[in-house]
Amino acid sequence: MRKAITIPLAIALLIPLAFATSTAYRVPTAEVVYLEGDARPETVATVEFEVAGLKCRGMAGTFSEQIKVVPGVVSFIAYARTHTAIIEYDPTLTDPDAIREAFEAPMVVEGTTYNDVFEMVSQKAR
Amino acid sequence: MRVLRTLVQLLFLGGVVALMLRGLAGHTPNTCEYYCPFGGLVAVYPLVKYKAYTCALTELNVALLVSTLVLTLVSKKSFCGWICPIGTLQEWLGKIGHRVLGRSFRAPAAVDRALVNLRYAVLIAVPVLTYTAWQFDLGFRKFDPFYILFTWGGHETAAFSFYIVIGVLAAAIFVPMLWCRYLCPLGAMLDPFSRAGALRVRRNVGTCTDCGACDAVCPHAIPVSKVEEVTARNCTNCLECVEECPVDGALELSWFGK
Repeated sequence: MRKAITIPLAIALLIPLAFATSTAYRVPTAEVVYLEGDARPETVATVEFEVAGLKCRGMAGTFSEQIKVVPGVVSFIAYARTHTAIIEYDPTLTDPDAIREAFEAPMVVEGTTYNDVFEMVSQKAR
Repeated sequence: MRVLRTLVQLLFLGGVVALMLRGLAGHTPNTCEYYCPFGGLVAVYPLVKYKAYTCALTELNVALLVSTLVLTLVSKKSFCGWICPIGTLQEWLGKIGHRVLGRSFRAPAAVDRALVNLRYAVLIAVPVLTYTAWQFDLGFRKFDPFYILFTWGGHETAAFSFYIVIGVLAAAIFVPMLWCRYLCPLGAMLDPFSRAGALRVRRNVGTCTDCGACDAVCPHAIPVSKVEEVTARNCTNCLECVEECPVDGALELSWFGK
């Protein structure tokens, strides 16, 4: 039965390895560029939000609709697994507070208002 | 080894229950679907074609799929027998059923052979429907006992979803491992890898007394006493047969049956 210990050892190796690999090689759930080419501002700042509700590709699309109304938002990358939104913006036109206000705003879909769809958990400048 | 396997099963079952409770209490937006290796299979096609994930699938699903495949090549379907919480629940319910009823029920051989192929239909149907009728949404959620149970009726589940879970778990009391045996698409996907799995139970014909204790205890009804090495695709290396064998050395684990 000594060989049997291989099974829990393989599990103990392979499952954490999957977590480590997926953390090292992340693929965005969604990527949206609002301002590109000549429209892209010379100075761009980046902010990262952890957002409750940002948990799939569909919700990333909704999130992108919420923030695109903010003047100066340049691009948006979402990672569903970590519920992270990385947003580039023109610091002369907007700031993280305005972006947060936009994505936390109530949404109206086909006449129905949805509150608290997205809620910021944490924020950090990059 | 029985104790160690039970501890590993408890660890994963406890983990997914803890995740469910944290989710229900609003402490985490994560659900068990982030940790499902079968999601990795569904994720592959859109990832290759569109460089994008489907719905809530992420690189973790893909990484867990790869890990599960490697684990299967090393040790057959140990994922099913040591890790999968639905496998664990079914196994325990089957044991309770056997103890209370004094027997388990098996479909007649011909029916069983036909039903086993249902898994392959599910394996093909789920990705195909996801990319077509379900429009890249995870429509299988409402039918998947793992998702329904461990999100406690999460997003997109329907009223009938709980009936599926109740049906699957109740049936496992009478027919051991019913979901795994006839319906699980992940199990179907692992089948060819399991056949090649390196770590296998080997029967020493010279010392085996043909008592049949191994056959009786196998949760997947593999006729261990009729073969020299267990290459059956359903074998999860749960090692119940080895534990139950009354003769020292008659059944043992081996690399490639040697």
